[in-house]
Amino acid sequence: MTTSAQTVIAPSRARTAAAGATVRRKQGFQHGGWFVAPFLALFALFVIWPLLRGFYLSFTDANISGDATSFVGLDNYREALDDPLVWESLGNSAYFTLLVVPCITVLAFLLAMLAHHIERGKWLWRLCFFAPFLLPSTVAANLWQWLFNPGTGMINFVFGGETPWLTDKSYAMLAVVVCTLWWTVGFSFLLYLAALQGIPAHLYEAAKLDGANAWHRMVHITLPMLRNITGLVLALQILASLQVFDQAVVMMDFLPGPEGSTRTFVQYTLEEGFTSYRVGYASAISIIFFVIIAAVALARMWLLRNREEGGR
Amino acid sequence: MAPEQMGQGMGRPGLDRRHFLAGLGGLTVAGSLGFAALGTGADALASGADTRVRYWNLFSGGDGYNMIAMLDAFRAANPDIDVKDSTLQWGSPFYTKLAMAAAGNRAPDLGVMHLGRVTGFSPGRLLDPWDVDLLAKYGVRQADFNPELWKRAVVDGTLYALPLDIHVQLCFYRKDVLKKAGLLGDDGKMVAVTSVDEWFDVLKEAKKATKKGLQTIGMWSSDQNFQWWFFVAFYTQLGGTWFDDADTEVTFDTDKATQVLEFLRRHVTDGYSDPGFAGGAGAEQFVNGGPFVWEGNWSVPVFDGAKIEYGATPLPPVFGKQATHAESHSFVLPHQADRGGAANEGAHQLAAYIVQHAQQWAAGGHIPAYTPTLTTAAYQKMNPQSEYVSAMDHQATEPKVWFAGSTGILAQRVGPIVVSATLGSAEPDAAARSMKSTLTELLAMKNPMDGKTAAQGGAVA
Repeated sequence: MTTSAQTVIAPSRARTAAAGATVRRKQGFQHGGWFVAPFLALFALFVIWPLLRGFYLSFTDANISGDATSFVGLDNYREALDDPLVWESLGNSAYFTLLVVPCITVLAFLLAMLAHHIERGKWLWRLCFFAPFLLPSTVAANLWQWLFNPGTGMINFVFGGETPWLTDKSYAMLAVVVCTLWWTVGFSFLLYLAALQGIPAHLYEAAKLDGANAWHRMVHITLPMLRNITGLVLALQILASLQVFDQAVVMMDFLPGPEGSTRTFVQYTLEEGFTSYRVGYASAISIIFFVIIAAVALARMWLLRNREEGGR
Repeated sequence: MAPEQMGQGMGRPGLDRRHFLAGLGGLTVAGSLGFAALGTGADALASGADTRVRYWNLFSGGDGYNMIAMLDAFRAANPDIDVKDSTLQWGSPFYTKLAMAAAGNRAPDLGVMHLGRVTGFSPGRLLDPWDVDLLAKYGVRQADFNPELWKRAVVDGTLYALPLDIHVQLCFYRKDVLKKAGLLGDDGKMVAVTSVDEWFDVLKEAKKATKKGLQTIGMWSSDQNFQWWFFVAFYTQLGGTWFDDADTEVTFDTDKATQVLEFLRRHVTDGYSDPGFAGGAGAEQFVNGGPFVWEGNWSVPVFDGAKIEYGATPLPPVFGKQATHAESHSFVLPHQADRGGAANEGAHQLAAYIVQHAQQWAAGGHIPAYTPTLTTAAYQKMNPQSEYVSAMDHQATEPKVWFAGSTGILAQRVGPIVVSATLGSAEPDAAARSMKSTLTELLAMKNPMDGKTAAQGGAVA
């Protein structure tokens, strides 16, 4: 519904903009250009340049000290495709993503519904759900490291048993997932809450008059109206989850977890670059990772466009 | 501003009261600033020292405290040398910074490294050799060190590291619990163990005397570093080897490795080590009354602080021969294109001084590498340090190849395999074979620092 409305408006807006742009282009750059220059300079220095440099290094055997570097062509890429640890760590990152994304989306939606409909102490609910997101990753991870402590932690105290959360390969990643849910659900929760508040009340009133019960209103009004925001939450979560690193590393005391079970792709890149000193190889695998993430992002855009065209 | 005021006040002949007071105030401020700078060694000029030695280390916590105390003692004894020390984060970040600084010719005059990592740190290019004569001038000679330890510091016939200590894996035991179990000798020390069966008998008796809810032994069963260190110790007890002398062939013995892995695994299967307390929880359990924990000697201050009755021996020689895992903190000279002169001599003097005055260092549990220290009455009085000092003569170390060393690639690749066997997700014999194939891969791998394999790196011994 809303998507098709937007696509109808968008082209006309674009046409107006294009007409005005020819007149304003020169003048516009003079003013706007200077405003964005500080950002562009930093962006070029800290994003574009490292990216290009990393691309170049991925074809070399550069080490951490930066001297005695020679060109090795595609050797690094060939080695990466044969490296079981590349695939294992990629699998770990994918497994994490697979667990986190659906959980966080559903949880954020439920919490938003709760905060939206509860009348008393609204601010308190919002604060509670959002506050963990404001913590630095190290703080969140350390907190959960304590909670998951097998002997003295609260989790085993409350649920009983002596589950080795952080030291058994079948639980370790789950522990990281639980920490991540608690820590980051607030962001998606806020997106959902804003979207819920943006649904016009008259839709619900009209439905009520037509005799729709709460369930019908949810399925036929709330969920469809939240479709866009769900797409956004999913996309952001997938991209963020694939890049999981800090909380896993801190929870496992900077080791790759029991039997390497929480070694994420980013962590493996770091290990190769800064423990093994193989900067060239680390660059190559981070370029591979970059391509994978870009492919996921592009696939999402492509799916979205197809859906919009189908809906028109 | 303060020195400027001071200059004005003192330079003017017609000194009135107001200027005098201002001058006096300025002097006090300048004086206190100078004093503060002297205390931290922040600025050679402020302290009036002629030579400045920049020194990077990775010691924090109790070790950091002891190191600073030793530096302060050096400063007091040598006011003409200003030591500017920087403590950087332990582990990979430290080595990364050291390598980049050495390559970029911004290296400090003196640094600290784990001895096992020296071979892989491109000695000759990123590290400068020690001047043995200069060291001798300040009282440090090869004869004062364990020969095996000294050999590890020599690459291609040249000394690249000056060992400060060795730090070893120990078997900590609770005297109160062992006494109850009848496992404490008349000398107040744990009964001697010389075979696998004896060791498990000891565990069996100890378990009976252990409070409910506590495991019998903590052994970091899920930690890839500790499990690897324990493996190295017991594999060495069995006389196992890693590579041939030329580093061209893997001589790793899978039968012996299987024996060790089965031994480690049995602690879990027989119920002495609880995977639920696999990590740092092992030390907590020990403090709460668990009879045994295998830990690094750096846990000595922790258990001292917990005020428990305990002792510590090297890992038990269950395979008949004494050997426990040892790594070593050593001083190195990071590469400087123009190394030499007073700062270089100062670095030699500082390192030699600290190596010879490591009594305080021993409080952190480490065994001083400078052997004359070990026979002093003061050291002999230290407990449990004097109980495990024999570990100096029975060091089990990683092979001397570029990929070895504390938290290096070798531990990172092979450690998880040991863990998988100990925790039961892989059969010991399969894990041993997998270790061997990993060693084969590593031997074929090129050192990123110089593009050479271990074999091409030449005779490092």
